[in-house]
Amino acid sequence: MKLYKPEVEAQRFWNPYTQTMARADLDRLHLRKLQTVIAYAYARSPMYRKLLERHKVRPEQIRTMDDFLKRLPFIDKKEVLDAQAVSPPFGEALAVSEEFFHQRFATSGSTGAPLHIPLTYHSAELWGESWVYVYWAAGLRARHSFYFPFNWGIFAAFWSAYMGVRRLGATVVSGGGLDSTARLRQIEQYRPDVMLATPTYALYLGETARGIGMDLAKTSISRVIVAGEPGGSIPATRQAIEDLWGAKCYELYGIAELGPTNPGCPLQGGVHLCEDWYHALVVDESGNTVPYGEVGEHIVTSYIQDGQPLIKYRTHDLVRWTDHPCGCGTTWLYYPGGVLGRTDHMIIVKGVNVYPSAVEAMLHRVTGLSEHYELHVGRDAANDFVTVKAEARPELDERRYGELRRDAEAVFKSAIGVSIGVEVQKPGSLPRYELKAKRFFDHRPAAHRWQLGGRTGA
Amino acid sequence: MTREETLERIRDLQARVQELRQASDNPAIERTMQLLDLYCHMARWELGDVQAMIPEVEAR
Repeated sequence: MKLYKPEVEAQRFWNPYTQTMARADLDRLHLRKLQTVIAYAYARSPMYRKLLERHKVRPEQIRTMDDFLKRLPFIDKKEVLDAQAVSPPFGEALAVSEEFFHQRFATSGSTGAPLHIPLTYHSAELWGESWVYVYWAAGLRARHSFYFPFNWGIFAAFWSAYMGVRRLGATVVSGGGLDSTARLRQIEQYRPDVMLATPTYALYLGETARGIGMDLAKTSISRVIVAGEPGGSIPATRQAIEDLWGAKCYELYGIAELGPTNPGCPLQGGVHLCEDWYHALVVDESGNTVPYGEVGEHIVTSYIQDGQPLIKYRTHDLVRWTDHPCGCGTTWLYYPGGVLGRTDHMIIVKGVNVYPSAVEAMLHRVTGLSEHYELHVGRDAANDFVTVKAEARPELDERRYGELRRDAEAVFKSAIGVSIGVEVQKPGSLPRYELKAKRFFDHRPAAHRWQLGGRTGA
Repeated sequence: MTREETLERIRDLQARVQELRQASDNPAIERTMQLLDLYCHMARWELGDVQAMIPEVEAR
C-alpha cells in the first residue's frame, strides 16, 4: 500500500494545473482571488475597512488588475501594529473569531513592538502546502523523513515547514530541546533524509561536527532545505552547504507575517512565487511596478491569511522578478538569486548598488575566509561605505591576516567595481546564531536609507 | 478525469459534507465534517474554483 499512486508520485509538480498555467490565465485567476480577498478583508477586518475608506475605494470598484495596482494602497508593518494596539494582541487587524485560531506566532520585535500573527487551521494547512511545492520539486515524497534542528518557539520560523511535512504525508524527526552535538547524534541514530535550517545554522553544524570528529557528508542527509535568510540561492553559500553535507541544497523564502511565499526552484538558482496562495508586485521607490527583469521592493498579498488579511503588504525585501522561464517547467514567476537584500539595507557606493547577498557570494571566493561575517555600512559626506568583518579559517596563521585582507579587498573591487574594506577577525570572535544571523549593521543616518513614496496607506 | 469533472465531484461532495455537518449532534463528527468541508474548499481553490476565502463564508 502506498500513500500516492505511482503515476501521481511521478508527477513533476505538486499542482500541475496551476504550476504550468499560461501567464494570462494565471493573471486572470489572480484577479478573481484578489477580489475575493479584498471583499473578505473589507467585510471582516476593521483595519482594512478603515484603510479602504480612507482611500475612498470599495471592493466592487476593483474590477481590473489596473484598479488593484492604482487604487489600493500598500500597507506596512507599522499600520498593522497600530491596528493591533487598539485592543491587543490582534485588535482591528483581526478578521475571524478566536475559536478559529489554530496557532499564534509573533515576530521578534527586534525593530520595535512584536507583530502578532494569528493562524487559523485553514492558514496553517496552506502555509504547510506552500512548502510542499519545494519538497515535491526536490523529489521528496511520503517515504522520506525530515529533521528539524529547531526549538518550536513562538516565532513562525520552521513551524510552517513542519506543517508542510504533515501536508506531504512524510515523517518528522524533532531536534527540539537539544544542543547541536545531540542533534548530530540524533541524525546518526534516526537517519533522516532531509534537514531544514537557516543557511547559517546548516554551516554552523559543520563546526560542531568537526569538534566531535563527525563527517556530515557521510550522514543520511541527502537534501538540506534552507530558509530564514538568504543563502540557498547564493551559489557560493549553497555550494558550501552542499560540500559540507554531501547533499543537494534547496531554498524557501518566506515572510513571518505572510508565510512561505516563495518555494525554491529545483534548478536551485532562485525561487518561484507560490502563485496558488500569493500575489506579488515588485515596485520602485515611487511605488510603481518595475518591469520584469528589474529589482525592487517585494509587495505581497496573501490569499490564506484569513485570520489577519494582508493585501499589498510591504515586505521590505529586494528581489528581481521575471516571467522568463527558468527551465524547471513551471510558469510561476521566478526570482533569480532569491532575496537580494532588504530595502533598508540598500547600499549605494559611488553610484553602484551593492547588495548584501553579492557581498556574501564574494566572501566565499576568498580562500582563507570563513562563512562567518558582518557587514557594517556607514556614510561620509557623499557616499555609503562598507566594511566587512570576516573570520579567518581556523587553519590560517594569524601572520597572514594582512595578506588575506588585501586578497579579499581585491576580489570585491574586481567583482563589484567599488572599494569595500575588509577586517579579518580571529575564528570564533563573531556571534553564532541558531535561527537568523544578524549580519547587517547600519550606521547611516535614516535619511540615507530606502524610502518608498507614493501610494502607501500612511 | 478532467478538471471540470473533478470539480463537479468535489462540489457535490462538499454539499453533502455540509449537510451532514449541520445535521450531526456529535462533536467529533461535526469537527470532522468541518475539516472535510475545508479540504473540499482547498481543493477547489487548487483547481481555480474561487468562491470565497474560507468555506464558512461561501454562499450556502
